Amino acid sequence: MSKPTLLLVDDEERILRSLRMLFFTGYNVRMTTDANEAIRILKEERIHVIVSDQRMPIMLGAELLRIAREISPCTMRILLTGYSDLDASIACVNEGEVFRYLLKPWSGEEVKQVVADAAAIALATFANERSPYTAAMLQQKARILVLDSDESTVHAVREVLRDSAEVIWAGNLQHATEVLSQVDIAVLVADVMLDGKNISYMLKTVKQQYPKTQSMVVTSFKDTSHLIDLINQAQIARYLPKPLRKNILGRNLEYLIERFRAVCTVPLLQTRHSVAPISDPKEQAQAHGLMDLLNRLRLHRATA
Amino acid sequence: MHAARLIGKDIPSLTIALDPIPSHLPLEELADLFRHPAYAEVLSIPVVDDGKPVGMISRHRFTDIYLKRYGRELYGKQPVGNFANKSPLTVAYEQPLAEAAQHITGNMQLPLTEDFIITRNGKYLGIGFVMDLIKAMEMQMRADTEALDQAYSRLKSSQTALVQSEKMASLGQMVAGVAHEINTPLGYVQNNVTIGNELFGHVQNMFASYETLVDKMLDGQSSAEEVSAQIQQIAEMRAALSVNEMLGEMRGLMEDSLYGIGQISELVLNLKNFSRMDSAATDTVSLHDCIASALNIGRNILKNKVEIVRQFGDIPAIKCAPSQLNQVFLNLFTNAAQAIADHGRITIKTWHVNDAVHIEVADTGKGIPAENIARIFDPFFTTKAIGEGTGLGLSITYQIIQQHGGDIRVTSRVGEGTCFHIRLPASAAHHDAQLLAA
Ligand SMILES: Nc1ncnc2c1ncn2[C@@H]1O[C@H](COP(=O)(O)OP(=O)(O)OP(=O)(O)O)[C@@H](O)[C@H]1O
Ligand SMILES: [Mg+2]
Repeated sequence: MSKPTLLLVDDEERILRSLRMLFFTGYNVRMTTDANEAIRILKEERIHVIVSDQRMPIMLGAELLRIAREISPCTMRILLTGYSDLDASIACVNEGEVFRYLLKPWSGEEVKQVVADAAAIALATFANERSPYTAAMLQQKARILVLDSDESTVHAVREVLRDSAEVIWAGNLQHATEVLSQVDIAVLVADVMLDGKNISYMLKTVKQQYPKTQSMVVTSFKDTSHLIDLINQAQIARYLPKPLRKNILGRNLEYLIERFRAVCTVPLLQTRHSVAPISDPKEQAQAHGLMDLLNRLRLHRATA
Repeated sequence: MHAARLIGKDIPSLTIALDPIPSHLPLEELADLFRHPAYAEVLSIPVVDDGKPVGMISRHRFTDIYLKRYGRELYGKQPVGNFANKSPLTVAYEQPLAEAAQHITGNMQLPLTEDFIITRNGKYLGIGFVMDLIKAMEMQMRADTEALDQAYSRLKSSQTALVQSEKMASLGQMVAGVAHEINTPLGYVQNNVTIGNELFGHVQNMFASYETLVDKMLDGQSSAEEVSAQIQQIAEMRAALSVNEMLGEMRGLMEDSLYGIGQISELVLNLKNFSRMDSAATDTVSLHDCIASALNIGRNILKNKVEIVRQFGDIPAIKCAPSQLNQVFLNLFTNAAQAIADHGRITIKTWHVNDAVHIEVADTGKGIPAENIARIFDPFFTTKAIGEGTGLGLSITYQIIQQHGGDIRVTSRVGEGTCFHIRLPASAAHHDAQLLAA
């Protein structure tokens, strides 16, 4: 029988016992308070979903999830933490590549739903018998869209990519929206702060509308709760603090271009980055506006 | 020169209403005037025409002329105006003292041979003595210095207040840390209760089904089919949910929940005790309680990292401001934890000698380099990154210990660790509640 297997890791065993009850039926549940034990389990057993705490004695959750990604790339990774600090959240994006970042105390319904979604995705990807992102390359030039009013960002991107990709620069939302409606974008590089305004909703909308597009946030804006929302609702693939370091930028851009190609070849992989709905009402309204604009532009293009 | 007079802090108080002379007055008349009691004290006499000062003639200048060969014969009949200094030192009646003093000292000739003229709206009003002006200025300066001193000490005490409020801010951070700490037990307690609630619903249904079955079997009216249908229904329910097993689990979860609630209440209680900001409140308490409270509040930064070794002696309860001493211990523990890179130990020792209680907090952290030791109690001295330390912890600690009539000392070895030693008077230590309210 193919019940998905869930691995719960937390240094407080009462958390483990409590969580286990949520998954009493429908799952095989493995649990441990010891991160090293978790690593051993990941090596020896097929784990569909891992849910880890962040603050633990031997290693941080983000670190454990990074290791999980190496050992078992198909396992879906979820962080469940009572501490929301920025460094942890950044590590969760860049290293842990987590599917969701959840906070304690949690809502039972939400956790159940998230784990169920993750389990379904994992079952499908494991069944696909292919490790993610090693799909054959499409030998087509990738397009990168840089959305940042600060021109130095696009310069940096052009410099590191040379002519291995086509780099388009949009200094404002209107322009970016036009580009998105017209061509396929492999990687969207954006600052969440555009001329002093937070454009998280843009990233969230893009992921909803163009799930293949990988987004990289480059910013000096520091806000943990915004970042957590970007993880859950935009599945941003990378978060690089400004000022940008060229080698890191280059490495990550190449990785994301590859990931885009993999997702194009194996559409199933898209589901691994499916997003939670936008939670903030104001952002919902903004996202609606943006979607309207996108639709109109697409229609316009179709009729032209 | 002249008798001591009351000198004020402004030009009016320096003004001497001296009768001036007109410029046409023959020079020789000055000889009598300078000897006249009304002019006995002055260095110079103002020359005024139509109320307007036109010059100043000094004793010095006068004798100079008379000492010249035939000076008296040659010049005696000539008008004073010809010999007077046509641009005498002049200040206005309304001029601020400091400004006047600056003008006079900047322009006066040495040796000093003339006084200065005081005018009001351009009209002659009187003269003033340069020495008076300087004296007034000096007095003013002394007063200013005093005011400066006062302002300084006011500033210092308001800085103390500031320091305290900064500490409040970092207490705020601590509270945020504790809030996070609460999230763990809150997480499982809430979840357990939710699950329990759901399970309760299942159990109720199950129970109702059993009751129906029993009723059907006992009432003698139900058919065998009805009874077996009921049994079937129960069997299905049992297959769908292993209620029995879940009930067994639930027991454990209930115990966990009680434990978690205990944890939460302990944290909240500690937080309440800790942040009692009527910080002057004094009480007779055991320092061991203060230490326990600080350890509890600081758990967030200590756990997983620091082993606490308690070597508690038999110490008497002392009269003190507990919330302030809590803060002292928390500061020391925080510093120690921050000085420990990976894992380490904090040893807390207490003992009692005669009239004093001693507390030692020793860590196995990185130690304090000799060049910093003298500065660690200074406000705003910190070696920590922005956001990690404000450099106020130890200065507040120091202040609190002092207010308790005690002292605090430090010994440290780089690479080995640091030890803070506090001595507090055991009896009658506590003086003035007022003092502590700072
Ligand atoms: N136990 C210790 N081990 C090593 N260094 C210490 C220790 N305690 C204090 N220091 C040094 O003394 C400095 C001043 O300490 P203090 O507690 O006043 O400020 P802080 O810890 O830097 O900031 P704050 O307490 O306001 O968060 C520290 O920055 C650190 O360099
Ligand atoms: Mg400190």
